[in-house]
Amino acid sequence: MNVFDAVFLALRQVWAQKLKSFFTLLGVIVGVTFLISVIAVVEGMNRYVEDDFAGSIFGVNTLTIERVYSRRGGREDPRTRRRQARNPDITTADAELLRENVPEIWYMAYSMDRFMPEVRAGQNKRKNVRLIGVTDEYLALQGWDIVDGRGLTRIDDMRAIRVAVIGDAIAQKLFPDESPIENYIRLGPFRYRIVGVLERQGGFIGVIRDAAVVIPWGAYQADFSRRRNVVEGIQIKFRTSEAMAAGEASVEEILRARHQLRPGEDNDFDIETASEVLTAWNAIKKVLLAAGPGLVAVALVVGGIVIMNIMLMSVLERTREIGVRKALGARRIDIVRQFLAESATLSAVGAVIGMLLGIGLARLVDFATPLPASVPMWSIVLGVALGLFVGLVFGVYPAIRASRLDPIVALRYE
Amino acid sequence: MMMPPDNAVILTRELKKHYELGAETVRALRGVDMQINKNELVAIMGPSGSGKSTLLNLIGCLDTPSDGQYWLGGQEVSQLDDNELARIRNREIGFVFQTFNLLSRTTALHNVELPLIYAGLPARERHQRAKDALDAVGLADRITHHPNELSGGERQRVAIARALVNQPSLVLADEPTGNLDSSTSKEIMDILVRLHERGETILLVTHERDIATYAQRLITLRDGTIESDERHTIGAPVA
Repeated sequence: MNVFDAVFLALRQVWAQKLKSFFTLLGVIVGVTFLISVIAVVEGMNRYVEDDFAGSIFGVNTLTIERVYSRRGGREDPRTRRRQARNPDITTADAELLRENVPEIWYMAYSMDRFMPEVRAGQNKRKNVRLIGVTDEYLALQGWDIVDGRGLTRIDDMRAIRVAVIGDAIAQKLFPDESPIENYIRLGPFRYRIVGVLERQGGFIGVIRDAAVVIPWGAYQADFSRRRNVVEGIQIKFRTSEAMAAGEASVEEILRARHQLRPGEDNDFDIETASEVLTAWNAIKKVLLAAGPGLVAVALVVGGIVIMNIMLMSVLERTREIGVRKALGARRIDIVRQFLAESATLSAVGAVIGMLLGIGLARLVDFATPLPASVPMWSIVLGVALGLFVGLVFGVYPAIRASRLDPIVALRYE
Repeated sequence: MMMPPDNAVILTRELKKHYELGAETVRALRGVDMQINKNELVAIMGPSGSGKSTLLNLIGCLDTPSDGQYWLGGQEVSQLDDNELARIRNREIGFVFQTFNLLSRTTALHNVELPLIYAGLPARERHQRAKDALDAVGLADRITHHPNELSGGERQRVAIARALVNQPSLVLADEPTGNLDSSTSKEIMDILVRLHERGETILLVTHERDIATYAQRLITLRDGTIESDERHTIGAPVA
């Protein structure tokens, strides 16, 4: 018979018993909500890693050379850990050697950093600051723009002049009413003249840049370094990705030779590139996308079973109605269609509620965290289609039961 | 092959129905031969257990006989499958039940429309015909009412409109006044009599003698067979 009538009837029933309907549809709602919000977060994370994160931390065609520390989760066995403890530090000499021998290098910088519990300017102070000592190309290489004043120069570096470029959050905190330029900041016992303010970055990554104080490498060496000429990392930027591929190979070769590694031996240093970060993210994403469907499936199956139960009860309650319909000429297929339309409508309502909640949740994530969570159209289509599908599949059994009722028995049912 | 006479709406030959009840076989109908012609108003009476309901179910195509033959409007229906029986019920038979059997969650109009929905008529035509049928039983002003907003007599009138809306060849009324008081009963019977005068063929099952007097022919069942089949003028007392 008329699918439209069945849909209308189902909608009216949902509306008449809102609370019962809500519990009936909870499984489907949770399933679809979860589906849409997880996809939104993964997609958002994806975009974030590929566009923002990879671009702004590592930059395009940029690599970072670091010493391998035995610190990553401590999953290595003790032997590896002992070996890693003997790994040589990366030094300024390494950097200079690379600069001379790798012609593909466009920009190069190295840096060392440390945590400062507190910095002061007059009466104002700011806690939890990252102090970074850098060579002159560092800011350009990182893409950290100066909004006020100037950056650091080669002269600053070579003469170890006590000047500093500060992050936006620090400027706000220490100099709320005036320009920080030509004012002084106290870093431990030393006074540094502020020459520039970094552009505000904001968001999740911004916690690094906005709360940073950047000073020349020479000054850092003189005032803060405990081990001379040891660097935290060397950053190298190449002009093109082809240049980077060639450059990365020579960098690896030169460092292996310098560290006297035999063929077949692992590198005792790390070369990190944006693509490596993307690889790590892809691994995380794989886990999320693998676990997600399982949870969604469980919720939907549970939701489907609840719907099936409700439909079986509905068939029982309406036994007489089914008898009447059959007496008036409804064929089996008419009854099947009526109940299928009803269960599909029920679960579609659940799917739509789930969709709205999912979108809401994604918006909340987008608003409350730096993740740009966005709901792709296909996930909405998928969610609603899955909801409908669940209603249809789990509606089949009740619908067939209804259609098989003997009209004589059904008409006599009290 | 035997063919029923042209004017026979119902013709049965040796109609039998057995039920298996555990180890026992219940012989509800033991061979009923019956012919009901166009535009007859026939009452069927009989004590409980006489096979009234079983016969009505068979005639109404809600059930199939264990043995024997049944022609409805010239077509043999005793061997049809489920879907064909549904079609016969839809097109050829109009049911009027003791308990009205209206769908409570919908309007009088929608109730009357139901047979037309299953007949596959377009909505506009359904509406018009259902309205006309309700008008014919004097309920033109009640079409948007739900069954629980109607009196018993009004509900049965909706049911009669529903039975007639698809222009069936046979109206089957199973104790149509069983749930009504006597003045409402008379009102319903008057409607049935008027329909009969208009040309409908009506089969009425009742256990009330004064209801049976509205019929021109009275068939009495006992122990699964026809005990008597008598004709009389309408309104005369039944012996």
